[in-house]
Amino acid sequence: MDKENKYIPYRVRIAKKTQESSNIQTYRLEFVDEKDAENFSFRSGQFCEYGVPGEGESTFCIASPDTRKGYVECTFRTTGRVTAALANCEENDIISLRGPFGNAFPIEQWYGKNVVFVTGGIALPPLRCVIDTLLDQREKFGEISVYYGAKNVEELTYKAELEEWAARGDMNLFITVDPGGETPEWKNFIGFVPTILEQNPPKSDNAVAVIAGPPILIKLGMPILAKSGFPNDQIYTTLENRMKCGVGKCGHCTVGKTYVCKDGPVFTYEEVLGMPLEY
Amino acid sequence: MKLLQNKVAELFENGTINLMIGFKEALTKQPVPCFIEKASEIEQLIYTKDCKNNLSVYLHKPEVKQAGKIGILANIATLRALVQLTSENQFWDIEKTVLTVNDKEEVIVFSDMEEVEAYVQANFPEFSEEDLKLLDYLESLSREDRWKYWTEQFSACIKCYACRAVCPMCYCPQCTVECNQPQWIKTSAQTTGNLEWHIMRAMHLAGRCINCGECGRICPVGIPVHLLTVKMNQDLFKEFGTKSGFALKGDYALNSFKPDDKEGFIK
Amino acid sequence: MEIKTITSANIPVFFNNLVKSGKVVVAPVLKKSGKVFFESVQSYDQVSTDYIQTAFSAKSVVFPEVEELFSYTKKEDGDFEFRNDMSNVPETVIWGLRPCDSSAFNYLTDFFLKENPDTYFKLRKERTTLISVSCAKADAACFCTSVGLNPGNVTGSDILLTAMGDSYYVEISTEKGKSVIDTALFTDSTEKSKEEFLAKVETKFSMDEIRERIQTAYDSAEWKHESMGCLGCGACAFSCPTCTCFDIQDEGSQESGKRLRCWDACGFGQFTRHASGHNPKSNQTARRRQRLMHKFKYSVENFGIVSCVGCGRCIRVCPAHLNIFENILNVTKA
Repeated sequence: MDKENKYIPYRVRIAKKTQESSNIQTYRLEFVDEKDAENFSFRSGQFCEYGVPGEGESTFCIASPDTRKGYVECTFRTTGRVTAALANCEENDIISLRGPFGNAFPIEQWYGKNVVFVTGGIALPPLRCVIDTLLDQREKFGEISVYYGAKNVEELTYKAELEEWAARGDMNLFITVDPGGETPEWKNFIGFVPTILEQNPPKSDNAVAVIAGPPILIKLGMPILAKSGFPNDQIYTTLENRMKCGVGKCGHCTVGKTYVCKDGPVFTYEEVLGMPLEY
Repeated sequence: MKLLQNKVAELFENGTINLMIGFKEALTKQPVPCFIEKASEIEQLIYTKDCKNNLSVYLHKPEVKQAGKIGILANIATLRALVQLTSENQFWDIEKTVLTVNDKEEVIVFSDMEEVEAYVQANFPEFSEEDLKLLDYLESLSREDRWKYWTEQFSACIKCYACRAVCPMCYCPQCTVECNQPQWIKTSAQTTGNLEWHIMRAMHLAGRCINCGECGRICPVGIPVHLLTVKMNQDLFKEFGTKSGFALKGDYALNSFKPDDKEGFIK
Repeated sequence: MEIKTITSANIPVFFNNLVKSGKVVVAPVLKKSGKVFFESVQSYDQVSTDYIQTAFSAKSVVFPEVEELFSYTKKEDGDFEFRNDMSNVPETVIWGLRPCDSSAFNYLTDFFLKENPDTYFKLRKERTTLISVSCAKADAACFCTSVGLNPGNVTGSDILLTAMGDSYYVEISTEKGKSVIDTALFTDSTEKSKEEFLAKVETKFSMDEIRERIQTAYDSAEWKHESMGCLGCGACAFSCPTCTCFDIQDEGSQESGKRLRCWDACGFGQFTRHASGHNPKSNQTARRRQRLMHKFKYSVENFGIVSCVGCGRCIRVCPAHLNIFENILNVTKA
């Protein structure tokens, strides 16, 4: 974020609201002030603080790829006061936005490699941004595999996009729901993401893996990937501790000496192994 | 002191307790809470009239509960808290052994809460004179001056919530002040929000506060915050004859319904 | 560094001149509760001189309990206006802070300004002058000498005054300090040593040993026992001169109001709780460990400074009387 005062937000207009499920929504946000639109640039993996003045701010990753300019997308689940207020907004409403904060995925280093994505539930958005970045320059990468699961069919995010990805034919998709979460029409996998990952291990040759999810998925998934032969520094994750300021000051997101908001949110498994289990 | 230490050693030896919450002398010479987990630490245990902390608050703490069998050295305020908390069904998940040292410096190990109740009723403490004096003074003031007094006091509050932390009756897993849908109480440490916080807390403690005075004693900015609940207790006794921390089957005024209640609105 | 002398009789004159110059002067004041607090004062008569340490540090001058980040108004077309005006932040002199506290300002400055410089802190710090007073007395909670400081260190101060009988030894370290000196009141120093007038503060531990042993202290089995008394209030963090954690809260309606930055504390149970309910620091042991490891390990790694200055406030203020240096000694036991 280049602004000198990191706390004064941008004003952004909700250009498009997509209801992903009963309590998950995606907003496409456009800057009210054209100058802000020009000054704002981000890289895939960074996050922002989205707010409704009077209610507060919430932290979500940027869900759209940095290859698509002029807007920012975010996807969030309604859980508390701020997300409830955000969810109440309609198209054309104006909300506040601060960011982008944090580091990003080193996507240029992945050119020519196979990329494996592992994620669950509401953690697809931080990886969707990366996946779309790759798809927008598909020729630069090898195989792209996505392991994604949710508690049940209803909670799968980006259903339309999942279908589009399946239709492309140039991705390996392992879409799963937890046992009991399937519908009669469900034709994909049934089982927890780590189980599906273990049963259908990705090839680790010339490959990187990216994992995001609830802390439990990260804690279980990273060792499985390591066992499949991915070197620790080729397994990436994005941590999502509680955050308030976004600039390494407020202290909420610390994992040991590390501020997830400014030193992360993107870390390699190697880096994570050097941290206390405080995520 | 030796008597007490021997008694506690005995409790450890025969497996009655595996954690003792008591007092030790700090480097600053004052008695401070201590947690004895092995026999070798028993000799630090002390008990004097200056042992003010209400140790019952620790019985809510997960790390303490983990011990399972807990001994607690209780002053009279702590005993009252134990009685009140028992009446609120708070101790279903721990085994506790309560000890006190009486005026004759005898060590008492209570065999059950009924004995604690009897001891509390026989030694029921009066309101402290110092508190009564300040309350009398405050009541002698006009409403406006009283308001001014409290606004000034609470403008100094920094919302460190030490008052809540030391209070054995503040055991809610999520305090009202942390609820934000809606945001009942402003979280910033400014006069209005501070007043809201302390009034809310006083209301939640009305008739449950056991007058240990810990909240006022430890307030880092020196607000006599305990006076609010002491006053509530006085009024409740006057109006309804109820005393907190007095009986194991105690009913407190704000939580009980009586057909002969003198307030008409409740019928 | 410039060294001067001022007579004790002239100290009130110097002080009152500072007030007259239009600056806000914040100094230690004895309150009815028997505690000493920093407050804005009008005359030297109000200033307490007989105190070992103020109950709270003076950090609130540069990092207030509640800082308005900006105010907002929703316009008729639904757009927002954000306003932030700090032009009325006054030039302030903090008088009578102890050398440990002035050292804390060095840490605060590194913390807030080195990376992602903080607009609010920067402005407030620029407009603040620190006139510290060396300690003639210490108590059992003081341990500045264990963290590499001492009762007469000049670190962080613009001016350090040391009472030496009927005069004060004056060490002026900065241009800012020079600019508030009233030359008529100060004469060149007679070069006496201030050492004999300083409090003797016992060393509780060797920082060299701690620095090494703290590396593996995270996994010490002692944390649980050492944290057993911790009740999870914010008294230590709020009284601490180097604690910087904060929360951001909006006050007002969706139509108009303010976004505020309020002190927060890593000891609070909700501090690290995710929206999902998951809490990475799920118990008081983990939270107490975070506070101490931050002071003695993390800030050394991040800024090269131990962010505990040994002022002893957290020890004096803790409802459970937790003792930070005892805790540190026990978790770094060989």
